[in-house]
Amino acid sequence: MDKMGLNYYQIKKNILRSRKLVIKGTNIAGSGHPGGSFSMAEILGCLFNKYLKFDPRNPQWEERDRLVLSKGHAAPGLFSNMAVAGYFPESEIETLRKFGSKLQGHPDLKCPGVEFCGGSLGTGLSFSVGIALAAKIDSKDFHVYTIIGDGESDEGQIWEAAMTAAKYKVDNLTVFLDRNFIQQDSYTEKIMPLDEKLEGDDLSEMWKDASRWKTGDKWRSFGWNVIEIDGHRIEQINAAIAKANATKGIPTMIISRTIKGKSIEHMEDNPQWHGKAPDSDVVPIINLELDSQFMIAPSIIAGDMTNLENEIKRCISGRADYIHLDVMDGKFVPTKTFDHTKIKELRSLTVIPFDSHLMINEPEKHVQDYIDAGSDIITVHAEVTDESIFGEIHDLLKQNQVGVGFAINPDTDLPEWSYKFLSSLDQLIVMSVVPGKSGQKYIEETHSKMSKLNSILKEHNFSGYIEADGGVNLENIGSIFADGARIFVGGGAIIGQQDVRMAIKDFRNEVLKSRRHTLLDKANELGGSDLVNKWIGLHVVGEKQEQIKKIAQEAEYI
Amino acid sequence: MNDPIMTDMRSEYSKSLIQVGRDNPNVVVLGADTTDSLKTSNFGKEFPNRFFNVGIAEGNLVTISAGLAVSGKIPFASTYAIFLPGRAVDQIRNNIAYPSPLGKKGLNVKLVVSHGGLSVGPDGGSHQQLEDIAIMRVIPNFRVFIPSDTVTVSKLTHLMANEYGPFYMRMTRSKTPLIHSESQDFQIGKAITLRDGSDCTIVACGITVRMALEAAESLQQEGISCRVLDMFSIKPIDNEILEKAARDTGCIVTTEEHNIFGGMGSAVTESVSELYPVPVKRIGSQDMFGESARDNEIPLLFEKHGITSFNIAKQVKEIRSKKL
Repeated sequence: MDKMGLNYYQIKKNILRSRKLVIKGTNIAGSGHPGGSFSMAEILGCLFNKYLKFDPRNPQWEERDRLVLSKGHAAPGLFSNMAVAGYFPESEIETLRKFGSKLQGHPDLKCPGVEFCGGSLGTGLSFSVGIALAAKIDSKDFHVYTIIGDGESDEGQIWEAAMTAAKYKVDNLTVFLDRNFIQQDSYTEKIMPLDEKLEGDDLSEMWKDASRWKTGDKWRSFGWNVIEIDGHRIEQINAAIAKANATKGIPTMIISRTIKGKSIEHMEDNPQWHGKAPDSDVVPIINLELDSQFMIAPSIIAGDMTNLENEIKRCISGRADYIHLDVMDGKFVPTKTFDHTKIKELRSLTVIPFDSHLMINEPEKHVQDYIDAGSDIITVHAEVTDESIFGEIHDLLKQNQVGVGFAINPDTDLPEWSYKFLSSLDQLIVMSVVPGKSGQKYIEETHSKMSKLNSILKEHNFSGYIEADGGVNLENIGSIFADGARIFVGGGAIIGQQDVRMAIKDFRNEVLKSRRHTLLDKANELGGSDLVNKWIGLHVVGEKQEQIKKIAQEAEYI
Repeated sequence: MNDPIMTDMRSEYSKSLIQVGRDNPNVVVLGADTTDSLKTSNFGKEFPNRFFNVGIAEGNLVTISAGLAVSGKIPFASTYAIFLPGRAVDQIRNNIAYPSPLGKKGLNVKLVVSHGGLSVGPDGGSHQQLEDIAIMRVIPNFRVFIPSDTVTVSKLTHLMANEYGPFYMRMTRSKTPLIHSESQDFQIGKAITLRDGSDCTIVACGITVRMALEAAESLQQEGISCRVLDMFSIKPIDNEILEKAARDTGCIVTTEEHNIFGGMGSAVTESVSELYPVPVKRIGSQDMFGESARDNEIPLLFEKHGITSFNIAKQVKEIRSKKL
């Protein structure tokens, strides 16, 4: 059961806020550990915003769930989530590591709400077993969630605790392994391998191959319930926690493949960012990068309508962020696709968020069906709603923790009555083709429409995602990103391709290119070629540096 | 002196644990594969769901105890001295002593060990913990006890169960002579005067208390009057009684089965040198390790380290000449 009532988008938003606080805190402190804070950002985000029972006004509430951050150096990540959750004002993150602050260099009971003094690695799991045993003795039904690191797993005590937890059957304990493959000195597999021996030049790329992970087998052999996930996918984390909570008789280990420094290109997979603070001059660029998260959403109607199950499977293996479901009723648009019954059938195939785009008349009569079918977000059209109808739909979706989407056709301007909803909208779909069928060409006027829209959205504190839907392809996706879109629906350009995974990857790379350009613009604006060069110089892993340099040269920034 | 009544600390500890366990349902007991030796397994028979044997994993033992304590339990974690301070000092420091819930100091864990000092005997130097008091004394928030007999063990076990905070209590493997009467009162930081005297003060703890009494007895026959203190509470130490002893008797001899560096003798020296400096002689292991000695040879081992009533008497005589 969801408790906090935050939907996918709200969780994402809070994770973004937390990441920005990590940057702010470590920058002001001049030291700290952003890398490991970012690798576990989504895990903590899902815990704090969905699963963890707690009361920030009463941190010692006896029935609260316990969160033990065993990898204590990621304290900025914990404190940032606590600030966002209301334990203390967000401004207090400025006192991180400062003399007299309750926000110590490592988590400390000095800060009410922190459950464990971390710092010396390898002990948080034993501590958690102790808490879990106490709960069992007292027949309390709170849950213990623990985050351990992979470097930390070098410590023998992790495995002592693993045996003890299995012996005493502490099923009230769920542990995340933040498997980011980096420890202080270098890559974990070089310092002390947890997985099978990996050889080759591009270790980072090889480690993305889940079939090579063996760490889960270690935990299985220790008698644990093991779930393996992508630790940056909110939907996978949520599903894993739900599964763990339903598992009786044994503790659960959620092996979470993560990326150290996730969300900031120059920090990602870079051992240098284990324990280093960002410089002040790059902070605004980093924040812009954090604000520029994006998602690729294949639209399955562009595929084989007679076998949508297979199209979903292609989205899964293609690593889609999001699945766009075009519901057409043959009335709002001339075509008919499928309705909620189909969505319900498809739901069992994946936990990837379902983006149900209702191109139907009288959506207010059907929204409940689409909620029940398992949509993560439901978008209705401006053309068939008014203030009162949309208000009703908006409230119903929020109550059900489903994202709220609003869509406008190419000929439709954002109606003034909708302005009051903008600040709580999760998604705005700006149609760049006339809805009704797949395979149309992007309407070029959308670019100018977007620039007008942006000022309205800014004025009314819109903080959701703009979704570009219609005719998005490799040629135009970069400029659509530059317009402000952050979700890209791909019909023919993705689902129509033989290799969906490659098509999505190509989409991502094009967006990335455009994003890098935007960040270089910012660097140039703030500090000219010096800052541009500094920014480029930070990107030391893989081929990023050369690629970014090329963009800067083309823009004549250097 | 009469022949001593020999008693077994571990049996007394086991009995006391069951008593405190009956009085307080929050008391839990943990062991690390030495629970039959420590006799804590008896607690497990009476309270099976409040007893945890975590295997040969002392760091784990300490940290799990900390997790139980932070959740309101009163864990007594026990194994041999050599495997607790000697092995798990990081966990003791960072998981028990350091974490301080608001308004409190450290977590409510009681580390009670057996097999402290040379009297471990046959197991040899690897098992004879001569450094634990030094280790435990420097960790803030910990209070450190060395009981001299079973009466002390029982009283201190009850005391620790009722007093919030981290404690370390070091017991002896071998049987120990009964020193105190059942009516003796034990307070944290208060030494017990076993014998009054005016020429010198002998401060002893643990198994050496009896030696101190024997030395005092023999010195009496030579006309030397010794005060004997049982310094069972090493931290906090009884500054008041030490200052008075320094003023009244002008010199002090300490004795313990521990390295002279950092042990009870060091604590006494630190105290009197600040409050009322007088000469202090520390008897104990002279920065050496122990070695095997069969039970009937343990006196020989003590003799090698100078921990005998004879040497105590000798040192008393010598230090008197150094009085200021």
